Parts: sequence; C-alpha cells; structure tokens
Amino acid sequence: MIRAHGVRFAFPGRTVLEDISIDIEESLTTVIVGRSGIGKSVFLKCIVGLLRPQAGSITIDGQEVVGATRQDTLAIRKRIGMLFQEGALFDSMSVYENVAFPLAYHRSASAHEIDKRVNAYLDLVGLREYARAMPQELSGGMKRKVAVARAMILEPHYLLYDEPTAGLDPSSSAVVESMIRRLQRERAITQLVVTHDIDLTRYIADRIALLEDGRISARAGREEAFAEPSAIYDHFIENRERIRAENGSQG
Amino acid sequence: MSHAQSESAREWRHAGASTASMYGNFFFWLFREPFPTRQLGQQIVRVMLEGFGILAVSGVVEGAMFAWLAGWYGMKFSVINWAGAATLYLLLSAATTLFGAMMFAAKIGTAFTVEIGSMQMSGQLDALRLMAVEPTQYIVIPRVLASILCFPILKAISDACAIGSSIVLARLWFDISAPIFLQHALLVLRSTILTTSYIRCSLHGFFISINACGLGFYFQGGAIELGKTTTKSIVINLICVLVIDTVYGVMDSVFGWSTV
Repeated sequence: MIRAHGVRFAFPGRTVLEDISIDIEESLTTVIVGRSGIGKSVFLKCIVGLLRPQAGSITIDGQEVVGATRQDTLAIRKRIGMLFQEGALFDSMSVYENVAFPLAYHRSASAHEIDKRVNAYLDLVGLREYARAMPQELSGGMKRKVAVARAMILEPHYLLYDEPTAGLDPSSSAVVESMIRRLQRERAITQLVVTHDIDLTRYIADRIALLEDGRISARAGREEAFAEPSAIYDHFIENRERIRAENGSQG
Repeated sequence: MSHAQSESAREWRHAGASTASMYGNFFFWLFREPFPTRQLGQQIVRVMLEGFGILAVSGVVEGAMFAWLAGWYGMKFSVINWAGAATLYLLLSAATTLFGAMMFAAKIGTAFTVEIGSMQMSGQLDALRLMAVEPTQYIVIPRVLASILCFPILKAISDACAIGSSIVLARLWFDISAPIFLQHALLVLRSTILTTSYIRCSLHGFFISINACGLGFYFQGGAIELGKTTTKSIVINLICVLVIDTVYGVMDSVFGWSTV
C-alpha cells in the first residue's frame, strides 16, 4: 500500500502541497483529480522520490520514501512503474528498444527472455506490429501505450499515471482508458492516476480523491463521487458544468 | 536593478550553478558500475561524424588564411623561404586548436545542450531515474569521454586539412613550391608543440562537453528557455576556450614548451 501523511512540498517562493494525506488501496485504481497546476504531478514525483517533500511521510509497503538512501530509493522504484505526461519515450530508440531498455540495461534477463517479454507486453498494448517504428512515427495514444508497456516490463506492483489522456483526441483517450481498465481487471495492479479529465475518471476510477488548495479535500468511491450531491461533484464537476453553462449563455 | 536585469542575473547564476554541479556529478559517477561502454562507443562514432565536416572545413580555411598572411609578409620582408615554417608553426601550435575548439563548442557543445535539455523537458531523464538508471552515468559520462577522446583526433584531421590547403595556396598564390614551403618546417616544429596542443584539445573537449551537458541536464522551462540555455552554452564555452588558451599561453611562456 502507498500511504502519504502530512506531505508538504514547496518550490522556492511557492507552496504547492500543503498537507496531503491519502492511502492508495491495493489492487484498485485510485484517481486524484484537481485543476491544472494544482500539484498533482508534483505529488506523483514525491511518491517515486524524484522530488523530496519538506515535511510529511510517504511509505510504500511500509518502506519510507522521504529521506531514503539511494539504494533504498532504487529498491522502491523497482516496485513502481510510471507513465509520464506524453510518454517520455527515448527518441533515439525504436519502440522495441524503448520497451526492452529497463531489462537490457540492468542485464536482468537473457536476450531470449527479453525478446519474449517485450513481445508479450507489446501484444498486451496492441502494438506488436510497430516494434521497429521510432517514437516520432507514433500517434500520441500509441506513445502512451508504448510507455505503459515499458513501465510494465519490470512487472511493477504499482503503476502511476501522470495525466494519461492529456492532449489526446477522444478516440486515443478511449484507447488509453480501456487499457488502464483492462490492466486493473486482468492483472489486479494497484494504479494511481492523476488527471483533470472527468470522463477518464468516470471510466477507470475505483476511488476518487479531490486535490484542492494543497490538500485532499474529499474522497469517495466512484458511484458516491458521481452521485449528486457529493463533495467531489460539488467542487469539481458542478464547477465545470456551471462554467460551461455561463459560457454557453454568454455565447 | 530592473526586473529584466535581475531575471538575467538569476539565469546566469543558475547556469553557473548547473555547470559547477555537473563537474562534481561527473567525477562522482565516473568510477561507479556499470560503466556505459556501449553508449561510449555510440557517442565516439557520433562525435566523430558530427565534428568531422566542420573541423575539416575550418582546417582548410585556417591553412589558407595563415599561408596567405605568411606569404604576404614573407614577400614584403624578403623571408619568403620561412613562410611555410611560420605558417605550420602558427597552425599547429595555436590556430587549429583554438579555432577547432570554438567550432567544437559551436557544433558538438550546443548539440549536447539541446539534446539533454529536451530530454529533461520531456521527462526522459526522470524516466531513466525511475528505471534505476542514473542519467549522469548513461547520458553525460559517454558524451564527455567521447569528447575527450575524439577532439584530438578531429584536431589531427583539421591539421592535415590546414597543412594541405596552406601548401596549395602557397603554390597557387605565391608560386612557392611544396619543398620550399616545407624546408624549414622541421626546424621550428618541436614535439612538445604537438603534444601540448593535443593535450589542450582533450582539455577543451572535457570542459566544453561538461559545461554543455550541465546546462542541458539542469535545464528548467520550455522552448524559449531552451533557446536561451543553448546561447549560454556557446557563450560559456567560448569564454572557457579563451581562458584555457590564455592559461596555456602563460604557462608556455614560463616553461618554454613552444620555444623555437
């Protein structure tokens, strides 16, 4: 289980996370929603140790992330896969090389085993026929799928997604949504998604948390969150409907 | 101080801190496992291919320019027999190293900054960290070592081009035959001139690549900031090249390595 308690993070002159406390439950998909720029990605980076909070505690399976030694951080990261915004694929490598990279670099498997696993994960995301393509030849949705395959290749216990559908057209978003849902259903991976995409949240979330003013201000299950009235509905969804209505009336 | 000036000062402080951090980072990771042998090979090939054209062309231009100057002054002061020796001495002891380092900073250094900066911008460096791969080891060390190894070889190519073009120009412009042009060359070319100039090339390769990689590695911002960072990369590296050559000049005058 990922457990955050009292996490505070500030960039020079600007506090981003004030006091974040949340438990990410096992084998479920938890979605943290919130406005753009509210600190959702910062929180993910704190979880994986890319950013160090000024206060608070983050534990993964009981192991403390904040202030962990380099060796401990590496051990923690081996249990986590992360999908970055826009995929963060390596431009100079083909799809196959991108997916194979973590295994090949650490020499943690034979060439035959690497080949088998890469092909299996490319099959899983439906991109086997693009194995020799370069990232710049792929659409945004395909890049995200390759990034998921790369994140999955080390068979992590946790999979974190940073705005997985940001900037994608509706059909590409639907492909990514289905994949996240399928991974959770078929492999029972514990997934944490941060997004401001309400449609994605509605489709994939088991648990939803609202990040507001540097805190988790509301938490709920999917049905509860989307039932009217609820804290998340009031603060986030209703707000969107209200702005749309206002713009519509002005138009 | 206006806002723009303080912003500019902050950016330059960040650039200075970035390059300084990279020196420490480089030596910290240099002797740790795993050594990036494959990446080093790839970078050696890349630096040689990318640097070959510009260093060869600059060698041709320098050779022609120095031969013309030496020939013109040689005619004027009736010491035309020494034109070749003077040309080769200037080229091999100073010119191809200095101008070559400037070309290397412009071509290879900026390429490193932009490449690593855009990797940082797109999250590729963070992705490496998450795969338990240290970006300094995987990205920076191969580029720096490749620069240290390749720049002296590129300088040798540049030297050959410069010597060739100087001989051709002397023949065509001043009607000085190649044997006459080269007759006093061996009297002035001491081995220390060559060894110190090639060592200087390795030093230039080290400083240029570390500065360029550091600026890309600690880059923050978007496309506009990446443009500014690339400009800083070339400015810092040109200053660095001049400082190294000035320090070398002072040491040379003290120790007399190039004394004819």
